[in-house]
Amino acid sequence: MENPYVELLHVSKYFAKVIANHDVSIKIERGKVVALLGENGAGKSTIMKILYGLYRADEGKILMDGKEAQITSPREAIALGISMIQQHFSLVPVHTVTENIILGNVRGVIDRAASEASIRALSDKYAFGIDPNATVASLSVGEQQKVEILKALYLDSKLLIMDEPTAVLTPKESSMLMQFIRDFAAAGGAVVFITHKLKEVMEVADSVVVMRGGKVAGTLQKEGTNEQELAGLMIGKDLIPTTGGGRSVPDDAPVCLELNGVTLQNKGEVSSLEGITFQIRQGEVFGVAGVSGNGQLELCEVVCGATRPTGGSLTLNGEDITGAGINERIQKGIGYVPSDRQRDALVMDMTLAENMMLKSIDDPKWKINGLLLSERKIDRLTQQAIEDYNVKAPGPRAVIQGLSGGNQQKMVLARELISGERLIVFDQPTRGLDLGAIDLVHKTILAQRDAGKSILLVSTELTEIFALSDRVAVMYKGKIQGILERDKLDINRIGLLMAGYHDEEEEAASV
Amino acid sequence: MKTKTIDFLLFNIGAIFVGLAAAGIMLTFLGENPIRVYSLLFTSVVRDRFTVANIFVRATPLIFTALAFAVTFKAKLFNIGAQGQFFIGCLVAVGFSLYLEGFLVPGVGLVIVFFLTLLGGGIYGGLIGYAKARFNANEFLVSMMSTYVALGVSDYLLRTLLMEARGEYPQTDTIQFYRLPIFVGGTRLHIGFIIAVVIAILVWVMMYKTTLGYRIRTVGQNREAAHLAGINTKRIFVIVFFISGALASLAGFTEVNGASYMLMRGFNSTIGAMGIGIAVLANANPISIIFVAVLFGTLIEGGMILMQVAGIPHSIIPLMQGFVMVSVLISYYVRTRVATLREKHRLQKAVGI
Repeated sequence: MENPYVELLHVSKYFAKVIANHDVSIKIERGKVVALLGENGAGKSTIMKILYGLYRADEGKILMDGKEAQITSPREAIALGISMIQQHFSLVPVHTVTENIILGNVRGVIDRAASEASIRALSDKYAFGIDPNATVASLSVGEQQKVEILKALYLDSKLLIMDEPTAVLTPKESSMLMQFIRDFAAAGGAVVFITHKLKEVMEVADSVVVMRGGKVAGTLQKEGTNEQELAGLMIGKDLIPTTGGGRSVPDDAPVCLELNGVTLQNKGEVSSLEGITFQIRQGEVFGVAGVSGNGQLELCEVVCGATRPTGGSLTLNGEDITGAGINERIQKGIGYVPSDRQRDALVMDMTLAENMMLKSIDDPKWKINGLLLSERKIDRLTQQAIEDYNVKAPGPRAVIQGLSGGNQQKMVLARELISGERLIVFDQPTRGLDLGAIDLVHKTILAQRDAGKSILLVSTELTEIFALSDRVAVMYKGKIQGILERDKLDINRIGLLMAGYHDEEEEAASV
Repeated sequence: MKTKTIDFLLFNIGAIFVGLAAAGIMLTFLGENPIRVYSLLFTSVVRDRFTVANIFVRATPLIFTALAFAVTFKAKLFNIGAQGQFFIGCLVAVGFSLYLEGFLVPGVGLVIVFFLTLLGGGIYGGLIGYAKARFNANEFLVSMMSTYVALGVSDYLLRTLLMEARGEYPQTDTIQFYRLPIFVGGTRLHIGFIIAVVIAILVWVMMYKTTLGYRIRTVGQNREAAHLAGINTKRIFVIVFFISGALASLAGFTEVNGASYMLMRGFNSTIGAMGIGIAVLANANPISIIFVAVLFGTLIEGGMILMQVAGIPHSIIPLMQGFVMVSVLISYYVRTRVATLREKHRLQKAVGI
């Protein structure tokens, strides 16, 4: 029998305090797509980082064409034809596409024209439409990913490892990426596709390796399995979809948040928010759908006070808060769960307890007296949050860096639900989370709604918006394209609005 | 937790010895016998009460300048200008001490001079924080250059307003009334050392037990999250630099009112740089700073005596300090590596391999 292209045999990796991988074996064949499926923290990225030479295995070996390979650095992996596209790109924003691609592979005098020509040829071959002379900073996230792929192709890679490549893409970009993966495999290349999205697995994979808790939970061929079986293997229990979202809020319910013509336009720039007007009633989930980067982040920041609008006004329970700072709005009961929790919501090198107090530092509940902090009280309240939200953590004094993404998000929720007494802004609250954590986030949002709080839910996942929202607004280029009532939700209509068609145009077109 | 503390002590003390040993090898290149030098160094500093006490006299200003660096370091800011803030502290201390000479009882006078010094250095340091907050100036460069401004001001005042009555040298008259009491008879050890230790403990309490310290550390660890949590990061910049400048200026107070009783040109011109080294060695921990400062005090005092009694160049002391510092820094790396391996081993055992 022919040896597979790459084979990982009984690989184990231990980090201090956690087993990242234990006895993992994976076969990768030429011309095939392997999907590496698992929840966050299942060890998918780690095992691939070992193959790419970023980490060293503590046990086990890597075979290439049946011969043992020593891969101790990405340089060696690249020399063996292995490339990995990380979740976070490694591009220099101010450099051009060509400069980024040839970076690290040039010596002496650079023949720019030749490099450019070969990059253009590669881009054309796969219909990427990337201009080699464009500055990376001017490209969209989807295009930047193509640059990363071009980099791998330029190095003549035979095996592409992609770590959650669709997390940052629009649906259209995703389907183009899937097409590329199929083309690349058809041309004899091998692909490892790391994901936690079942739909993508069924769409593109030839075989599926399901990981759970650092171990291989099952290796299956796509033919002969289905989404239910994969989900079962992935989370180790049957999946219960969230229900109970979407209901009509009575018109006489008091208005909590009101935006009136809110505009954000910095001098000489295109406005990132334009005339945003809507109301959120008490006990209502207001969903904001849209392709990411259409003003959602700015909208969240304007509501929580991180950015001042250049026009329009905001009121909270009838009180004008347009000029109020972040701290004042926290005091007034606005909670914020930002999309980039590691950058905006957590202090990664601090303990769970220290992160718990972040939004309410001056609250007497943390203190012995007006001056000194009480470790006993802080630990007790944090322990309470750990238990309430079922956070998997050694204790309040553990550094939050060591927790998985889902558990970090649970800590953010625990904190923001307390400080957000009236309104909670959720920006992509389930981004990068596994199914178990997503379920918990969804249930939490609904429970907060039922408790009478108002929810502003921004998400690019339409299923999430549909499952939870009472009303849905669609954003496009900083404007609200239309607000749909619960009973008028229609995926096609939302799709058109997301693509930039106005309601009137849509109606005109349908006449 | 306990193994961690043991590791910390073991590795730091080990590293100090390794550093001294490495410096010893350098001594052989200078034609000195390292064993003789070290035995002389450590016997000479304990030869009498006066010398032992002098170690603590020398450690006193170093504690302050090290604390000054440590406070900003916790906020991921760099105050390289402790030397300048020290000069400002010296000027305020000596100026007001001489101005108030004879008006007040010594105790009251000293307390007033203490607070005026603190205020002067605090404002001088706070300006750096303000430049950072208002204009996003690079605090590293601004603080570094501010030392030269302070030096210029000091030179000017020593030739004009503060110049001695005789008008001969660029130095002040001697303070007669407001001198920090000496608490070990027959030595120069003044209560400035006790003030330094108390303030180091207070800085520790502020850093780890108060909301201000928590805010400072949060700004240091993640400015974006701190901002979104409603912390006014710009105000923290100013506050941190105020505290830092005040701490550095207190070195001026204890030196002027406790040790020299006057100010001259080129006074203690290296304590700022040494403070940075001490703070780095102590991992910016205020309590560790006390001990590292005493170690450095020992080396300085020992170096003085070596020069006097054995004719060994006094410049070997910075050499030793340098080796100790490098060695301790390397030990941090080794220590975390050992801890990680230990955890890993424990884990492998737990899963039964």
